[in-house]
Amino acid sequence: MSAGASDAAPAAGGPAIEARDLTRRFGRHTAVDRLSLRIPARTSFGLLGANGAGKTTFIRLVAGFLLPSAGSVEVEGRSPALRPERVQARLGFVMETSRLYPELRVRGFLRFMGGARGLAGDRLRDAVERSLARFHLSPVAERRVGNLSKGFQQRVSLAQAFLHDPSLVIVDEPTSGLDPVQRAEVQAILRELRDERTVVVCTHDLVEAEALTSRVAVLAAGRLLAEGPTGEVLGRGDPLALFRRQGGAA
Amino acid sequence: MTPLAALVRKELSSLFGSPVAYVALTAVAGVTALIFFDHLKIYNQILFVYATTTMGGFDSDSIPEHINLWDLVFFPVMEQIGITLIAVVPLITMRVFAEERARGTDELLSATGMGPGAVVLGKFLVTLGFVALMMAVAFVYPALAVERGGLGAEHLAAVFMGLTLHAFGLAAIGLTCSAFTSSQLVAAAAAWAAAFVLWDFSWMYSFVGEETAAWLDRLAMHPRYGSFAEGIVSVANAVYFLAMVLVGLALARFAFDLRRVSG
Repeated sequence: MSAGASDAAPAAGGPAIEARDLTRRFGRHTAVDRLSLRIPARTSFGLLGANGAGKTTFIRLVAGFLLPSAGSVEVEGRSPALRPERVQARLGFVMETSRLYPELRVRGFLRFMGGARGLAGDRLRDAVERSLARFHLSPVAERRVGNLSKGFQQRVSLAQAFLHDPSLVIVDEPTSGLDPVQRAEVQAILRELRDERTVVVCTHDLVEAEALTSRVAVLAAGRLLAEGPTGEVLGRGDPLALFRRQGGAA
Repeated sequence: MTPLAALVRKELSSLFGSPVAYVALTAVAGVTALIFFDHLKIYNQILFVYATTTMGGFDSDSIPEHINLWDLVFFPVMEQIGITLIAVVPLITMRVFAEERARGTDELLSATGMGPGAVVLGKFLVTLGFVALMMAVAFVYPALAVERGGLGAEHLAAVFMGLTLHAFGLAAIGLTCSAFTSSQLVAAAAAWAAAFVLWDFSWMYSFVGEETAAWLDRLAMHPRYGSFAEGIVSVANAVYFLAMVLVGLALARFAFDLRRVSG
């Protein structure tokens, strides 16, 4: 069930995620509209856009939580529409708002998430202890998740996503709702992790995108507006203008 | 640890880590005790009246056969426990899936790659296990009545089986309703409605033909539950309740697929 980063992970430069004319409609509303995008493996990739641009729908399609209305998406050569479990087993997913189990203690929560990913025995114990240390959670390991500050909850959310050493990690709005100190801490953690695997960061924070990613794609009204190296895309005149546009490929 | 075992462990920890489980077990034990002792009191009063007015004492042959522990205590208690369970079980099941959807942890769970089949199975296993424990608690007083009423262990086992299967059927209805909504209230209300409709169709008999009434009777829970209470273990009745569980499992699993389509 579990998959490590080295388990047939695509080579650097190959596609980690490839969407072709990907479309997702909710009734009459088109959240993702004929989106074609190639996210190279082992890059730190930013998905930028205003609220409602289609970023979260796109990553839910990538994770197999949603089926596309048209088009296709492949994650490391596998279709999340057909076999979502196989894609999810190789994926680390950090939700927008820390969607955790508030009643569980941090260590218990990580043990559960590791167990749910098929880790057992010494491997599970090692993975949990490693995550507690790596994300600086040891001091709060026996506290209930619901009693932690937002910053710590976000660290717990990150810790669970890296437990099984995934080759691809998707982080949705990693610093949303955090104070400046917590934001800096979470960004520092993400910077440490970004060179080891493919990290896709969804954000509407341009400063965050510049700090964390090497390439970005900008979405608006479900369509791709621009894609390329972060400095290049965000360096084109007024970057906020990208957010104001409502559609049309760049 | 397999993913299923991890989920079962986490569900047990969540269930027994909150007061809900203890409140439910205590409430069921309390309500059962109240129902039981209320009927026992009435039985004793009737018995006393017969024993004193006929001047024959409690061993007198003049006490009619229908004045017995079985008809005056045990049957009505079982009947009322059956209805009480319709009210109580949806309160246990309403949170199981709906809470996950409401707080978004259903996707966190899915992101583990565990698969919806394992998620549904794990949650059903824990809920059915808890319901069985609840039945064991609820069964203490009826079991006492059976023992004092001079009925054998086989009869006792049949009654417990009926009670547990009935609760399993109700849990399957409740879990299915919970899987299709993010509102615990809607889940509970839908489960109550479905369970009350399925409990007994006899109120409809005057509106439908005989043939339809016979079909409705086959669908109803009450006659099947009642047969266990009489000590009759019928495979068909057991299959009926187990089929409810299987249909519930399939529908709850379907709810996950539906969500991928509907969002």
